[in-house]
Amino acid sequence: MTRKWYKLLAFFLVLTMALVACGGQEEEPPAGADGEQDVPTEAPPVEEEPEAEEEPPAEEEPPAEEEEPAEGTGAELQLMGWSSSEAENTRLQAVIDDFNAANGNIQVNLNLVPDYDTRLQTSLAGGAPPDVFYIDSFRLPDLVDAGAVEPAEGRIEDPDDFYESLRDAFTYNGTFYCPPKDFSTLGLQYNTDMFDAAGLEYPNEDWTWDDLRSAAEQLTNEEEGVYGMVLSADFARWIAFLYQAGGEVANEDFTEMTINSPEAQEAMDFYVNMVLDGFAAQPADLDSGWAGEAFGRERAAMSMEGNWIVPALADGFPDVNYGVTQLPAGPAGEATMAFTVCYGVPADIPDERKEAAFEVVNYLTGAEGMKAWTDLGLAMPTRQSLRDQWLEQFPDLQPFLDGAEHARAWQFVTGFQDVLDTVNNGLQQAFAGTMTSEQVLEQAQEVGTEVLNR
Amino acid sequence: MASGIKGQDREDAVAGWLFMTPALIVFIVFLIIPIIFALYFSLTDWNGISPPAEANWVGLDNYQTVLLEGGIRQSDFFKALKNTTYFAIGVVPLQTILSLLLAVIINQRLLRYKEFFRTAYYFPSITSSVAISLIFLFLYQRSGLVNNALEFLTFGAWEPVAWMSDARGLFHIILEALGVTLRDGPEFLRGELLGLTVWDWISGPSVALMAIMIMNTWTTIGTMMIIFVAALQDIPGSVYEAAQVDGATAWPTFRRITVPLLRPTIFFVVTLGLIGTYQVFDQIYVMSSGGPAKTTLTMAYMVYRNGFRNSEMGLGAAIAILLFVIIFVLTLIQRRITGSEAEQ
Repeated sequence: MTRKWYKLLAFFLVLTMALVACGGQEEEPPAGADGEQDVPTEAPPVEEEPEAEEEPPAEEEPPAEEEEPAEGTGAELQLMGWSSSEAENTRLQAVIDDFNAANGNIQVNLNLVPDYDTRLQTSLAGGAPPDVFYIDSFRLPDLVDAGAVEPAEGRIEDPDDFYESLRDAFTYNGTFYCPPKDFSTLGLQYNTDMFDAAGLEYPNEDWTWDDLRSAAEQLTNEEEGVYGMVLSADFARWIAFLYQAGGEVANEDFTEMTINSPEAQEAMDFYVNMVLDGFAAQPADLDSGWAGEAFGRERAAMSMEGNWIVPALADGFPDVNYGVTQLPAGPAGEATMAFTVCYGVPADIPDERKEAAFEVVNYLTGAEGMKAWTDLGLAMPTRQSLRDQWLEQFPDLQPFLDGAEHARAWQFVTGFQDVLDTVNNGLQQAFAGTMTSEQVLEQAQEVGTEVLNR
Repeated sequence: MASGIKGQDREDAVAGWLFMTPALIVFIVFLIIPIIFALYFSLTDWNGISPPAEANWVGLDNYQTVLLEGGIRQSDFFKALKNTTYFAIGVVPLQTILSLLLAVIINQRLLRYKEFFRTAYYFPSITSSVAISLIFLFLYQRSGLVNNALEFLTFGAWEPVAWMSDARGLFHIILEALGVTLRDGPEFLRGELLGLTVWDWISGPSVALMAIMIMNTWTTIGTMMIIFVAALQDIPGSVYEAAQVDGATAWPTFRRITVPLLRPTIFFVVTLGLIGTYQVFDQIYVMSSGGPAKTTLTMAYMVYRNGFRNSEMGLGAAIAILLFVIIFVLTLIQRRITGSEAEQ
């Protein structure tokens, strides 16, 4: 009798543990990648969607594959990427199914993995890389310097059709390495209800820093814990202000750091003072994991996130009324950041496989594949020729797409992670009042110089 | 006859090796070989991306970079060492004392529902640490449960803090309350030692790190408690009966009998605790990624960071080896202190 009970108990214990373990694994990557205040920079923007599901899409065999199983020589290619939203995963699978149906001799398997960076790195080092893989623009220099990426120059159809900022993002040392899959730019989101309540005019494209600051001031109500704006201690956000002020991270060929300049100082002062003066707050101070959540919970009237905030708000906070415009212009004009991911082909596979891989890449980034992929309205087309037709479908997202015109690439040199960490660290301390903005820039200059001299 | 016995011995030996083989293979493949590789890679400039064969031999360069050369890597290394040490100093005594207390309480003969408590206390230890970390992220928010509870307990005097984004060090908070700040403190505070200022060295664990320390203590107590319970049950009841006859009350019995008899176990638990705390990784990975302001950057997390984010696998391996050396030395020291008595 008792033994039976023990067995039952043991069974349930094991079951609970298994469930707990599964649950943990499933949620681990989004949180690890960017769940918190201080990491989102290096995480590819697509990952920033907090609702990201880690399960790969249902592995339904495409009917086409069953109909023509082994036609011709049949190269089987693997496309490895990270999972974003369920909707996007399904759509990408559908695009690939289309390709597989149209091509008898090349069959592509989509493999969306958790903990992507680690997986990619081990498969590259192990000499068995996937035939096509995602590359975040920030990560490109590391991979190129390790000799892992085959240049795409001359193998991509109509490369001039891509936005220049996106081509830049995947050009390193003068060579174009991989065509952009899609991209995001930073825009300014504003809560229309809060602006109406305060009797303020909505932000528009002609806004300057001063407009932003005064609006943030008037929208702040510290007693209620509501701030004019949510700002992250994040290089990937501040850098837009750096460019708007006319500053540069380094000189053109990255031999010398120029981040400790009067322009950078101006941008740093503006950014930090928004928080120190109490018109803006960090996500964590607004009980949120990231800026989009703080905006969605109406704890901040404005935020500067990329287009990934749109599906996140639709999912998590469907009742929030908001508008989107471009980032305000600084003393030196307009600038925003483009975060983008490309389809890379490894340097270390046989030539026939490379050719097949580039064929796949050309389809996915070509007019037909790109259109199918971006018709969902979550990802933006990287080809200028698709712009008008896409905007007809999604007019609300125009500010994000227009950002591509004056966007800067999120790409530096190998080892720049140290500079990124230093600036993030400095911004956190500046927001907390334990470092001055001068010290932050001095330190960034110093660490950057060290990185460039390695 | 003699040869018969020898044959028997040989058969036993063969059987013994055969039984050991599976474990031995696993041990060699997954432990010995990786350690040797780590040692080798720590002497190369391998980036972790290109095939390992292309790595260049750089001798002790990686060790020199983190230990001697001034720069961001040196200061990061010592920052990680400092954070990890504060972590260990806080967690190890706390978890040892608390788990011993729990074990003694649970081991009381008169306690009812013993099994329930035993399971309840052990439960955090068997739950996925990632799941726990995610839940604690919510608890530690500014409007989270921890702040609410503290506010309630202090009748509203508690000022809510955003635990996971607070970089202030414990000792800095105390010093500043006493009127000592970096700006107008004595000159030696601004002096630099191994890439960090003296003021940085004496920061104490940051609020964010303390939050993780508390969580880590909570999750590890269960395991340690089970070890203590097992050891307590090994203490013969006659010893306690003799003490009772001599008129010993609860506290002297605990201090004079339980603790001395548990000394080997305490040594074991402290060793486990030291190793566990110096290797803390998953909670950092999930909850803070080393931030805010690198105050939760630990050695193990830095190894990962260098290996898989900075494309510096060689450097990461060197830090891993240094971590091994540090743990090894600490265990030896600790053995000196408690171990010699434990062997009696």
